[in-house]
Amino acid sequence: MDDVVVRTVGLARRYKMGDAFVDALQGVDLEIARGEFVALVGPSGSGKSTVLNLIGGLDRPTAGEIWIDGKELSASDEKALTHHRRQHVGFVFQSFNLLPRLTAEENVALPLMFSGIPEKERRARARELLERVGLAERLTHRPTQLSGGEQQRVAIARALVGQPALLLADEPTGNLDTTTGVEIMRLLKELNQEHGLTLLVVTHDPEVAAFADRVVRLRDGQVNGFRG
Amino acid sequence: MPTGSCACVTGKSTDLGDETDESTDGTALADMTLRDLAQTALGNLGRHKVHTGLSAVGVTVGILTIVTMVSLGIGVQREIVQAFTSVGLETIEVRPVTEERTVFNQFTDPQRLVIITPDLVEEMRARDDVVYVRPRVFLSGGGMRVYLRIGSETVEVRVSEPVWWDSANDPFAKPPEMVAGENLAADAQGQIIVNTSTLEKLGYDAFETLIGQEVALVLVTPRSDRQEFPLRLVGVVDTHTGTNYPGAYIGVADAAALKAWWYNDPDLLERNGYDSLTVKAASLNDAAQIVALLEERGFRVESLKTTLDIANRTLSIMQTMLGSIGGLALFVAAIGIANTMIMSVYERTREIGILKAVGASPGNIRLLFVVEAALIGLLGGIVGMIGGWLLGLGLNAGILTYFDYMDVPLRGTFFFVTGWLVALALGFATVVGLLAGLYPAARAARLDPLEALRHE
Repeated sequence: MDDVVVRTVGLARRYKMGDAFVDALQGVDLEIARGEFVALVGPSGSGKSTVLNLIGGLDRPTAGEIWIDGKELSASDEKALTHHRRQHVGFVFQSFNLLPRLTAEENVALPLMFSGIPEKERRARARELLERVGLAERLTHRPTQLSGGEQQRVAIARALVGQPALLLADEPTGNLDTTTGVEIMRLLKELNQEHGLTLLVVTHDPEVAAFADRVVRLRDGQVNGFRG
Repeated sequence: MPTGSCACVTGKSTDLGDETDESTDGTALADMTLRDLAQTALGNLGRHKVHTGLSAVGVTVGILTIVTMVSLGIGVQREIVQAFTSVGLETIEVRPVTEERTVFNQFTDPQRLVIITPDLVEEMRARDDVVYVRPRVFLSGGGMRVYLRIGSETVEVRVSEPVWWDSANDPFAKPPEMVAGENLAADAQGQIIVNTSTLEKLGYDAFETLIGQEVALVLVTPRSDRQEFPLRLVGVVDTHTGTNYPGAYIGVADAAALKAWWYNDPDLLERNGYDSLTVKAASLNDAAQIVALLEERGFRVESLKTTLDIANRTLSIMQTMLGSIGGLALFVAAIGIANTMIMSVYERTREIGILKAVGASPGNIRLLFVVEAALIGLLGGIVGMIGGWLLGLGLNAGILTYFDYMDVPLRGTFFFVTGWLVALALGFATVVGLLAGLYPAARAARLDPLEALRHE
């Protein structure tokens, strides 16, 4: 059990679209071991982002269970979801989602503010992580002064600052050119291999998926195959 | 995955207790500090200076109105209380009671039903609980005209008793400025003081040389009957009424003599009594007893205490009414703040989504917006406070200049800002902002993180 970070059991998500219902997920069983790098692939509309959002506590399942570190995530409890987002997961988005008015350092330190960690410590940890993602020289730059690749590195540092059990990335290279995309994937791979970071990356790009230890293929809201 | 789910179920049952504990721990986790909250809120307000400023203007107007109006109330109240207490709340005003005017007696002087006799004056003077007694005779009405003669020159004057003996009738009276000689004593008889206007009109400017000189007040009836009342000039006082009218002041006994001659009635005082009587009691308790005694005898009695109570009540009502106008302005301001905050929530939807994704709780988001709204209120309140205070100072200076110009002998601070007014106004402004922020903040807190993140 200890080596399983995430386990989903019969995960289902039904959306209401006007009068009709759309089943985005229809019973997804997934297990991610500690230190594993998993790519979730599938055509658009297959529900891969939905899985990511459910595991990340940004969305609530219609049915099924999500177990994080051996504890079930109670989707009905808003406080538990906040706690989960704060403590267990870190998000990396396709569009970076940095706050434009904050510097790189402040963006990375931001999540710690909500845990009441003193500013000095927040900044120290942010600097440490920005160094690790190779942005030691960019601490006081604002997102608009950074390239796309640099912005995504800041986003990765921000996702890691709370020391989460799991990093969730939704098309992390989607807004980047190929070279930069590869650099970002190399960084993620490095974090995975050198620091034992558990990764779940949603992508439709086979080149990105190739970095993963294991590829899970989704089709029509169901797990359609494995590789790895 | 039958085995898997089995393991899960067992895992679930054993971990359940842990999970609830953890969940409680989780909710009890250290949360955003107040300092971060305030800094973040200030930062957000700072980014939208125009927005913030404009929505604070409403609060500024409201608080400015309230502070100006309430400080006026406080100032006037203070002045009145000060004036009244300096005169002494133990002072009692007694008036004779006259018959009511009807169609049958409207062209004659009304008869007095209860009069202030010299006996009553003596009785009051004899009491242990009385500090002083001042009877008065009013030399006005009845077409009476009085002239002052010095040597061979005469000038028409207004004759009265010096009200500044005790300023009971005029709490705001400026004490007289003696230009030469001395003031009249309370029991002065055969003496007179005149104002500078009188002497200037007669062509004198060396006032000192006139002190001690024999002068006379002259009464002339419409039928040209003429009577002189010789008096000694003991003092010259600076003209203190606004009219620059020649004036003279004499003691009550002389005033009674003038009046008796005018009405051709040597027993006038016995029959009609004094026109008013001021009794100063030793204490408030004594005053209450004397008031009761005099009322029992049928007098109309006014003690300054009752007057002050009425004044206070009137002022409180005035203050409440004026304050309410400010309250109305604040209500409008609250709507403005709410609108600004709702717009702000809309504009920052994506940001709210990001904050939630990185671990902000709905409570954090709600608090951030409520604090921002409260700060807008406080900011508007501070500016309104200072504005109201300055406006009060300006108005006060203006009023005093006007009084000076009109020669009204009134001085004082009519707009007075107290510590509790500052605290109350700022507190009120903050609470108004906070209340206005509750709904927008709740909307922000309720936002679905996924939808918020998709918002452009």
